[in-house]
Amino acid sequence: MSLVNFTTREITCKIVYYGPGRSGKTTNLQYIYGRVPEERRGRMVSLATQTDRTLFFDFLPLELGSISGFKTRFQLYTVPGQVYYNATRKLVLQGSDGVVFVVDSQARQLDENIESMQNLHANLLEQGLDIRTLPVILQYNKQDLPPELILTPAELDEALNFRAWPSLPADAINGHGVFETLKAASEAVLRKLSEERT
Amino acid sequence: MTQTRAVEPWTLEPLQRFVAESAARLALLTTTSGQVIAQHGFTRAVDVMSAAALGAAIAASTSEIIRMLQEPAFRVLAHQGQRHGIFLARFGTPRGAMLALVVYGGDSSIGLVQLFFEQFARDLAAACPAPEPARPVLAADFERDLNESLAALFGR
Amino acid sequence: MTTKFQAALDSVTRVRGVRGAMLVAGDDGLVVAESLMEGIRGNAVAALAASLAKRFRRASETAAYGLPQFIHLQASQGLLLAALAPSGMLLVVVAEADINVGLARLEMLRAGEAVA
Repeated sequence: MSLVNFTTREITCKIVYYGPGRSGKTTNLQYIYGRVPEERRGRMVSLATQTDRTLFFDFLPLELGSISGFKTRFQLYTVPGQVYYNATRKLVLQGSDGVVFVVDSQARQLDENIESMQNLHANLLEQGLDIRTLPVILQYNKQDLPPELILTPAELDEALNFRAWPSLPADAINGHGVFETLKAASEAVLRKLSEERT
Repeated sequence: MTQTRAVEPWTLEPLQRFVAESAARLALLTTTSGQVIAQHGFTRAVDVMSAAALGAAIAASTSEIIRMLQEPAFRVLAHQGQRHGIFLARFGTPRGAMLALVVYGGDSSIGLVQLFFEQFARDLAAACPAPEPARPVLAADFERDLNESLAALFGR
Repeated sequence: MTTKFQAALDSVTRVRGVRGAMLVAGDDGLVVAESLMEGIRGNAVAALAASLAKRFRRASETAAYGLPQFIHLQASQGLLLAALAPSGMLLVVVAEADINVGLARLEMLRAGEAVA
């Protein structure tokens, strides 16, 4: 849940990057970390295994600067994608203001994407969060791979996007679509915050 | 000079008192999802956020283990290092549950921190105002500010 | 509580005027064992006494007098006594103002060696 302080005029929001294992969640944060000036971001915290798979979460704080007179900060988190880390995924989801669901566009990963999407629904429900009111952005990552290996954004929309969420193609390793995804997620989160309080 | 800074002003005095009495080096007050309410001793806001996220993660995972063991919720967790100790406590206020993360050195002790923390928690509960009614937050055209900020962040 | 610690505290609390005795971890300020009368805030006294002991230690080491052995704090309504055991534990005593301090000190130092 966003923290809004009218006295100090500060807003802090939490965005969680969700999705199946190896879909590119950490890659998104690493790209953001690499592009954002040091004074506008914190150290990237990565609680990972020895083989660099996310064990608990990655975390990156960003200072967005002043938005409508409020100093705005975003906390970006990723969750571990492997099925057996569900307990920690639930913990990371707590208090989230928006979700970026990072889809692995490879055709052979479709089942994993669907399973992860179902898992997101289940975990949000368990926390009493209505996914219909939570800002969600779909990022169709790995669109740089050969066409014969991946599904197109239209095909992925058909398979996964039954709630008509905003969806964006991406190639996170090379940074394509990363900024646009963050922008879409930030807008959605802040718009919801604005609507909630009027 | 080490600063004490409070996002929520009502926490400032209790925190200053606690830090002075317990000789804590660093102190962080957060929500259970890791959003910072007040801090002492940190120099950069973004370092504060990282520490807050980690503290919240430790608290959340400990709570989950305790839930699995069907035990009452934990109140205090302590880690002892070579030169510093870490004290993490969960407590209630009228605004909901909060976490306190305290780092202390050789000039303090876990006993001292624990002793003054109890008073700190009481002071916060007493000072905590009632939750605010909803107020308008962002101007209708916040997108423009957001786009400019993000563009600046990404050097576009 | 182990027999050794209990026996050490018993020998000290037998001294007339002692209202409570505790073995305290010197670094942590946490109570290891206690024998206290009603109304004594053992945890608070332990933490603060340990903190004081640390400061006294720094003072005596700075003065090149080595480790402090015994601390005698005289307050308006009673005494706080502390003896540093070789083990690093602190034996803390809360006592009436008219206690035989010499006798208490002797028992405390003996007890401190017994828990080493």
